[in-house]
Amino acid sequence: MALMITCPVCGPRNGYEFRYGGEDKGPRPAQRELSPGDWFQYVHANDCADGIQKEWWVHRDGCGVWFTTYRDTTVNREVPPPEEDA
Amino acid sequence: MFGRTKPLWDTGPELKSGYDAVIIGGGLHGLATAYFLASRYGMRDVAVIEKRHIGFGGAGRNTAIVRANQRTQENVPLYKEALDLWPVLTRELDFNLMFNNCGNLNLLHSEAAVNAARMNIATAQFLGVESHLIDARQAKEMMPALNISEDITYPIMGAMYHPPGGIVRHDAVVWGLAKGAAALGVHIHQHTEAAAIESRHGKVTAVATSRGKILTPRVLVSAGGYSAAVIHRMLGLRLPISVLTIQAMVTQPLKPLLDHVISSGAYHVYANQTLKGEIATGAHMDPWPNYTTQNTAYYVKHQAEALVEILPCLAGVRFMRTWAGLADMTPDMAPIMDGNHPLEGFYMDCGWGYFGFKSCSAVGKYMAQYMAEGRCPEILKPFALERYEQHRLMGETAALVSYSPDN
Amino acid sequence: MNRLRALPTFRIDPARRVAFRYRNRSLHGVAGDTVATALYANGVRIFGRSLKYHRPRGLYSLDGECSNTCMQVDGIPNVRTENTPLREGMQIKEQNVVGSAAFDLMAFMDKLDRLMPAGFYYRSLHKPARLWPVAMRQVRRAAGLGKISPDFRYGGRCDEVYLNAEVCVVGGGAAGMSAALSAAESGLRVILLEARPWLGGCFDYRPGPSQDGEPLYRRSRELLRSVSEHPGIRVFTHSPVVGHYTDNLVTAFQTGEPGDAFDYRYIEIRSRTVVVATGCIERPLLFEHNERPGVMQVGCAQRLARTYGLLPGERAVFSVGHDLGLEAAVDLSDLGLEIACVADLRQDGHDEHLVTQLAERGIEVLRGWVAARAHGARAVRAVTLATLDGTVQKRLDCDLLAASAGLTPVVGPLTLAGAQMDYDAHTGAFLPSELPPGLFTAGRLLGLHDAESIETSGRLAGLQAAAHCGAVDAAAVVELQAQAAALPGPQRGSKLVTAPVKGRKSFVCFDEDTTVKNVRQSIARGFDIPELIKRFSSAGTGPGQGGIPGHNLPLLTAHLQGKPPSSFVSTTIRAPLVPVPVAAYAGSRHDMCKRTPVHDSQKAAGGVFRRMGVWRRARYFSDDFSCREEVRNVRENVGLLDASTLGKFRLHGPDALKALQRIYIGDMSKMTAGKIKYAAMCNDDGCVIDDGVVVKRGENDYYFTTSTARAGATIEWFRYHTRYDGWEFHLVNLTDAFGVINLAGPNARKVLEKVADADVSNEAFPFAAYREFTAGGGAIAVRAMRLGFVGELSFELHVPSSLMQALWGLLEEAGKPFGIRNFGVEAQNVLRMEKGHIILGQESEQRTNLLDLGLGFLWARDKGECKTVGEAALRHAENDPGRLKLVGIRMQDPQRAPKDGALIVDRRIRGYVCTARHSFTLEQAVGLALVEEPLAGIGTRLDIYEDECRGELLKAEVVAVPFYDPDGKRMRM
Repeated sequence: MALMITCPVCGPRNGYEFRYGGEDKGPRPAQRELSPGDWFQYVHANDCADGIQKEWWVHRDGCGVWFTTYRDTTVNREVPPPEEDA
Repeated sequence: MFGRTKPLWDTGPELKSGYDAVIIGGGLHGLATAYFLASRYGMRDVAVIEKRHIGFGGAGRNTAIVRANQRTQENVPLYKEALDLWPVLTRELDFNLMFNNCGNLNLLHSEAAVNAARMNIATAQFLGVESHLIDARQAKEMMPALNISEDITYPIMGAMYHPPGGIVRHDAVVWGLAKGAAALGVHIHQHTEAAAIESRHGKVTAVATSRGKILTPRVLVSAGGYSAAVIHRMLGLRLPISVLTIQAMVTQPLKPLLDHVISSGAYHVYANQTLKGEIATGAHMDPWPNYTTQNTAYYVKHQAEALVEILPCLAGVRFMRTWAGLADMTPDMAPIMDGNHPLEGFYMDCGWGYFGFKSCSAVGKYMAQYMAEGRCPEILKPFALERYEQHRLMGETAALVSYSPDN
Repeated sequence: MNRLRALPTFRIDPARRVAFRYRNRSLHGVAGDTVATALYANGVRIFGRSLKYHRPRGLYSLDGECSNTCMQVDGIPNVRTENTPLREGMQIKEQNVVGSAAFDLMAFMDKLDRLMPAGFYYRSLHKPARLWPVAMRQVRRAAGLGKISPDFRYGGRCDEVYLNAEVCVVGGGAAGMSAALSAAESGLRVILLEARPWLGGCFDYRPGPSQDGEPLYRRSRELLRSVSEHPGIRVFTHSPVVGHYTDNLVTAFQTGEPGDAFDYRYIEIRSRTVVVATGCIERPLLFEHNERPGVMQVGCAQRLARTYGLLPGERAVFSVGHDLGLEAAVDLSDLGLEIACVADLRQDGHDEHLVTQLAERGIEVLRGWVAARAHGARAVRAVTLATLDGTVQKRLDCDLLAASAGLTPVVGPLTLAGAQMDYDAHTGAFLPSELPPGLFTAGRLLGLHDAESIETSGRLAGLQAAAHCGAVDAAAVVELQAQAAALPGPQRGSKLVTAPVKGRKSFVCFDEDTTVKNVRQSIARGFDIPELIKRFSSAGTGPGQGGIPGHNLPLLTAHLQGKPPSSFVSTTIRAPLVPVPVAAYAGSRHDMCKRTPVHDSQKAAGGVFRRMGVWRRARYFSDDFSCREEVRNVRENVGLLDASTLGKFRLHGPDALKALQRIYIGDMSKMTAGKIKYAAMCNDDGCVIDDGVVVKRGENDYYFTTSTARAGATIEWFRYHTRYDGWEFHLVNLTDAFGVINLAGPNARKVLEKVADADVSNEAFPFAAYREFTAGGGAIAVRAMRLGFVGELSFELHVPSSLMQALWGLLEEAGKPFGIRNFGVEAQNVLRMEKGHIILGQESEQRTNLLDLGLGFLWARDKGECKTVGEAALRHAENDPGRLKLVGIRMQDPQRAPKDGALIVDRRIRGYVCTARHSFTLEQAVGLALVEEPLAGIGTRLDIYEDECRGELLKAEVVAVPFYDPDGKRMRM
């Protein structure tokens, strides 16, 4: 395993320059009326997909940008976005 | 053809159309639960279904370290009971689990770590588990290979010494439990993949598998690192879990060098010597979820850098083999054991991270009780899934959650 | 032992002697020898004893494929002497022997095999229970091969390099060199890695003819010249590849030559493409006593003679399954070895030219025959040959049995990279059926035998790699492919699994003493696939790392169960592919650590430093770790603390305020210039993840501090929680740009007055104010804050790092009349605790949120929907009565503070002490503790359980905080 991740600014780089930031769960919900159940779903619950997932990364040891990418968790390789998302 | 030698367990039982209970996952927790269902609760009509072969997953890839010096009073008793069960199981199963009760030394490298360890030690002592704070010199006496000089990155200030812990031969536990469970009538179906859990009126009715449907009123998912994905796929239930790959490695075999298990949080390392003489060492997880069980170049190097500081003589030893397994991490480093939610008759036992081996004997016992009686045993109640929604993380780690359970 | 007359294939210099010590004797080898060949030249035949049965073991592969020749060299155990160059003065010792390797007192173990069937440990030694601990000690002593002293220190030099390339070629034989050349000719950067100390592979020592009739060894030297002359190829010899990871990350380690600046060098290469041309090793022949000293592989025998000038024996029998065996027999015969007979397990398919050559030399070739048993207790004295069905046998005297069942492609790098392996019926090998992107193969690995085919396949792979990188067009590849297709393809491999034997000592794995019988026993126990047999019988888990059993085990597993050979694959190959010294991986070991600008001044003042995160900080300033004097001096006089490690940030831009509102739990919209706001950040659980102060320096322009620990994560945190919003703000980390001095104590103002160029009176610069002024006569720009973390009048002075030492010096000078002195982190810890100020991570943890810590006043519930991080969780949990709360405690015994980490108990654990100290100032023992809410009321009596207290509880009472100066008058002075 020696993941390469493609930073939108810096291009393909060694995965260890980045930090993983979780599954993509959509924009942050309003906090005022958020129920405990919805809060749990947004903050802690995961799909844990064994396959392709959309996820957040930050180029920590590089330009510092947060971005989403797709990765196949069964082979740990970045993959192109699925058709419907492209 | 092979004379009087018999298989340890029936490796090819007929798949029946129904069982009293189906357990998904032929690892340590699944086999232990099956064994205790059959031996303690008379429920022998049990099927363990395993996608590959038993012990393929975490059961065969773990550190083999056992201990009961956890942080909270909810956890310690469970692990204490697990320790107490090794000799019992060795006798009952008539299988040498090779419990090496060598004790564990957890190295401390700062004043803050000493104070944090003191809380664990006081908790252990309060709950009747032996654990002591010792200084660096005492640690060196116990383990002459230790480097207690000041000229390393994180000088050793002391250690948490936990005599009841040690190492158990993990493969032996898998095979012993399979042997014991099968002898009582449990069916172990290898190369059988669970596809779906079927239900009616909120109750479990069957498990669909790659070899056909099995009718059953109760099903346990104890599929180790694969549990969260399986549960989400089958029931749509999302868990506070991230599945990471955790790595380990061994050196070439040596004559006795380390007489205790050692570990260090600051160096992110544990090391112990197997009965074969290899130094088994590991701890690192790449902080992004994956199911590869692949190793990384980064890690083996990190491990070497750490080892030559605390155990400098190992610079002259060679690494021989690395491997990896899955760790399903929760935000509070404590597992999820729950039942009858969201379906009556559905049970789950997951989120063990890298503690699945240490706990398997006791968890098997209590999950069996849970499944046999349908009511949650007192000792398992704190591990319910609802704790997350209630903002009651367990505190097995003091560390705060940053973005997700994996970092 | 005399060496052969000089051959053109020699890699030794017989004229240069190298002295070494073995078993307290002084011996000599020659330059170019390995440790193993030097010992062999000195007549050593038994190198060590096997793990379980203590059987004698000798030279077998010459490539370290098994532990037979592992020895202790210069105090280092398990050294593969076949791969280790001999150096002057080396100290060589045998391993796992009692007595000597030749006469081992443990040799009786070999008779006990019936007591030790596969997996016997699991079924014995546990009854009665008290037997096991005793037996276990014996097991431990018997196990393990080498020995290392706990005091051993490695004295070698280790280096590391990280390289990039377009093409990385693994394996420096003819195919690998051809691949490197064709890739480099396309203008690419090429790295060529070879495990042996020289390039050439199996061409290096073979006199057989190449495509143009000249000897292979000469052809290989021609290729070598082209490779070394090509500027685009960087060659690493003596550098076995040990890891191959996703996206073509290759790791190797190199052993230094005399004159190199390193003994080991760790090599990590990120390459666009990788060509694997690792060739073959020999598949061991399974027969009775197949590992007796004197039994060796064909290549081992030939290389001993051709490379090292050592005739491997006097009278030899060959039992082989491939043409390389016939070729070696011809060659060794010509070099003077008497060959009694060549048994070839193939009935047909021989290279008839070689058969003729053998006939010309009077050597009998027995087709369809195989070695069935080696005789001789400590070395081979004779061999029984048999027909494949075992019906006809004959016995021949010999002292060398060159044995080889067939060839095994070295596919380790491919499987590590994720290539799928399948049984190939033609070659009988496990070959890649599918390769990951950017990975190519060439050479003998593919089953090729013909010299021209091998070279062409190399050139083709190099070209394919170049095409993958876009350096050549596809047409060139197609053209070469057509050429390659016209050449001889993969040779049919031998399918024999085991010789016709019924004995108990045919070894599948030498390292673990696993026999054919053990494999049979494992299958009978239900362990019927290679991966499980490996675990149950240990086959392939020794220092040879599966080299010996790798190919045979799956074939044997199928054979014993009457299944086709395609039923199973080899057990998983894992990195490192060859054993790697921990020292080589550890490399040059940089310990990176930051120092503050006044590190040296503090050191001169007697600072005792500790590593804290990325920094080294002064924790104490005397041997008294209770810090009595440091504390007193701050309370009564004036002290200096280096707080440079605090995180410092500038946040500016149109959406800066929005970002602050998102991240901080307070309302940041109501800040005024010149005034400090104390504020906290929570995580989504409502736990305080950081606290610090924020200053507004202009419209949408803020300066704020964070804790030392969070400095590195702060920008990431802001950006993470605003990642969907597209806001425009700029966040600059000034942590290293500014140093921070905390000047604290009742005399602090008197000191600062002498240095500051501004009015620092309480009226001009009151508590909680922020000012910017200069010091030292306009030379030093200072950002100053009136804070009270330690509970006294104090000034936090932020100055550019380059000027911090100057300001520090001015303050020390100005404070001299008062007796100013340094105080460290621990004194600060005591001071702030007396004041009831918390340190995150010390008085907080995962189970405590903002409200639990008594910091609810920082939460602005009415600031509007800012989606503030942590807000929802705080609202959900605020009325939960079951939470831990932070309280102040006072001990009954004023002299006896509990240790940090002590528990608050009744029948259960109800909380714990975070920090407690005897306060010299208050003459009380006080502390901060986290307790369950029902125990948090003022006046509640608490029982405290300390480690090793033997049930004797300490008594405490919950009291109000702060303990010191509750009205806060002193910090407002």
